[in-house]
Amino acid sequence: MNADITVDAKFTSCPGPLIDLANAVAKAQPGQVVKLLSTDPAAPSDVKEWASAVGHTVLATEKSADVFEIYVEVSG
Amino acid sequence: MSKIALIVASEKTDKLFPAVTLATTAAISGWEAEMFFTFWGLLALKKGFEPTGVSLDYKAYEGKLSEAFASGSIPSWKTVLEQGRATGRIKIYACSTSLGMFDLKEEDLESFVDSIAGAATFLSKAKGSDVSLFIS
Repeated sequence: MNADITVDAKFTSCPGPLIDLANAVAKAQPGQVVKLLSTDPAAPSDVKEWASAVGHTVLATEKSADVFEIYVEVSG
Repeated sequence: MSKIALIVASEKTDKLFPAVTLATTAAISGWEAEMFFTFWGLLALKKGFEPTGVSLDYKAYEGKLSEAFASGSIPSWKTVLEQGRATGRIKIYACSTSLGMFDLKEEDLESFVDSIAGAATFLSKAKGSDVSLFIS
């Protein structure tokens, strides 16, 4: 999946990845896709809950090696 | 809007960090967060304060925590708090009684303190919270 912006939050743990993602999403344009890279096992669930609370969409969550790739579409 | 109320009664890293993690995560999720710093927790609001360690019971793990901060895998409590406060949805109250107990004045506190408050004021701010916790 393609992303407009990539946030590399590998090797940081809660709440680091979510804060980094929220900052990137705040600067992004509606419709853009932000990809979060995280090694935090809580990231997929945390991002899902956060996105649902603030109205963005998690398009996909993939895992390669020990890194989660979480794709979030920025709402308008 | 959802709301979390946190009473922070310790200035140790292992208490401050989870408190600000919850407040900031709530704030960036669109919640309001009301934080009341009382007793030893108030010391964390003193200008230039840096946490000196973990609670005595967990002293054995202090090195582990220092490593995590040094490597950057865990940000400092103030960094986390600043991120949350940038949303404008975290309010910080300093307990007036604790202020007197430590002989401190308003000007001795960090600028991120919103106001000095007593129990009745905090209860009124915290009323209707969805999550409320006492951290000590």
